[in-house]
Amino acid sequence: MNMNKINLALLPLIAVLVSGCGDDGKDGATGPAGAAGIDGTDGTNGTNGTNGADGTNGNLAVYTVQLTNLTYSQPLSPAAIVLHEPGYNIFIDGEKASVALEQLAESGNPSDIISEASAATQYLDAIASDGATAPRSIGTVSTLVVPLLDVDDLRISLTTMLVDTNDAFTGLNSADISNMNVGQSISFMAPSWDAGTEANTETASTIPGPAAVAAGGGGASAGFDAARDDIFDRVHFHPGAVTKANADDASKEGLSTSILTEADRWDNPTSRIVITRTR
Amino acid sequence: MKLFKAASAVALACTSSIVMAQTIDIKITNLTHAHSFTPRLVIAHDKTVDAFEPGVEATTALAWLAEGGVIDDAQNAASAGNNFEALLGPASTDNTSNTWQRFGGPLVAATSSSNYSFDTMNKPYLSVLTMLIPTNDAFAGLDSIKIPTEPGTYTYMLNAYDAGTELNDELNSTRTDIVEQTTGNALGGYGVPGVAGAGAPFAVVPLGTGGTGVAVKVGFAEDGTTAIGANEVVDGTDGPVHIHRNVLGDTSLTDGASDLQSTQHRWLNPVARVTITIPAP
Repeated sequence: MNMNKINLALLPLIAVLVSGCGDDGKDGATGPAGAAGIDGTDGTNGTNGTNGADGTNGNLAVYTVQLTNLTYSQPLSPAAIVLHEPGYNIFIDGEKASVALEQLAESGNPSDIISEASAATQYLDAIASDGATAPRSIGTVSTLVVPLLDVDDLRISLTTMLVDTNDAFTGLNSADISNMNVGQSISFMAPSWDAGTEANTETASTIPGPAAVAAGGGGASAGFDAARDDIFDRVHFHPGAVTKANADDASKEGLSTSILTEADRWDNPTSRIVITRTR
Repeated sequence: MKLFKAASAVALACTSSIVMAQTIDIKITNLTHAHSFTPRLVIAHDKTVDAFEPGVEATTALAWLAEGGVIDDAQNAASAGNNFEALLGPASTDNTSNTWQRFGGPLVAATSSSNYSFDTMNKPYLSVLTMLIPTNDAFAGLDSIKIPTEPGTYTYMLNAYDAGTELNDELNSTRTDIVEQTTGNALGGYGVPGVAGAGAPFAVVPLGTGGTGVAVKVGFAEDGTTAIGANEVVDGTDGPVHIHRNVLGDTSLTDGASDLQSTQHRWLNPVARVTITIPAP
């Protein structure tokens, strides 16, 4: 476009050159013709069209949930994450654990909790987090979706097992995340509970995690056991791992039958859960 | 202290400016593994009352509660003049700065109390205290929370504190083979060594005997090396009030360091949940 304007400006100059003439005597030779103007360059391309309008979102709110394992050496199992209305609980402390919670707390399997949650009338969405969360690390992001009209009275429940224990778990029990703005995050620090469904024997044949595998046990066969043999069958806060440290000295403080070491101990909180509303 | 508010309050078109007696419901859940709670002291109060304060030496009233679970004269006549009743005034009465009540009996591990109907007499703050049994002087405390005014249900998590009025010897107070240094008194509750409530109905799992002591050792002074009478136990202090460092326990019921069980009597905070319900007006 600019080049075209320059080209037009040369035309008056060319006109002056061709208008020269003689006076008396022979006419002089005709002056040489002016040089041809420079060709104009190509015009620029047209601008892009404007973007299409945003699609409608179907009136859904989207939340991401990310778990941080705060322990020194207790891996956390895949977590059962449930978004729901008030009135649903994976567990109530001081009361008996469901079999689904027993499955999670003894074997680290979240699937029964998720299927039970899906059947609850207060259910909005649920997902198992992608894989275990290693000690001292931040886990994967899970994404959940709920209808927009439910954001004003929304709860989150989350359970994940400390897998080098008999039946310890950490998480959230119907925590209030109502009325979060898009972009807002809420962070919870969570304690650890004892499901009360299995005695805390700390043996290789009753712990599913890697500490038990290293001691020649662990795995699925050391996970869920339908028998309930803790001192009482009610969910409560976990007293911590005793471990075999100091088992053989005069104090007899440690548990000689335990396969755990002092490194497998923890203190509360054991997990941090960050919830972000992304839409 | 307040980890999260479990349920949002229902917003109603009312104001709290109307001064009137307010009766609220209070429920406490023992979430330890094997400890019992003594009867609960519930106090509604103003800013001049502080039943306990971390970093500050315990009152004699707090020592009675944390070492023996004693709140008032009716529980233990020997505590008269030194207990919370003496400090606060008569129960269920508007004592200007406070009103208080004692609720319930032994509350064993992982059970909930009934709903206590408590008239706050319009005092702005609430404190709740209960001793953990068997310990030397551990108590669970709700530390002067502002009483909510909007109707709804509110949840608070309680940590375990050490009153600091007795060394954590972890010795069974039913033992007769050991006594308090100098006085020769039997072990037990307030003012003497040993964990309180070692017998029924508070002890839900057995306590051992024969332990040599944890924070202080049988037959030795507080320094751990100076010998005293072989059957004597020092009754020292480890205050001021602080978050309890938990018990050690051991795995033997006949010897080892402790008469508590390491597999049963330990805890990690929090140890209790208090649920407060503010009724609609």
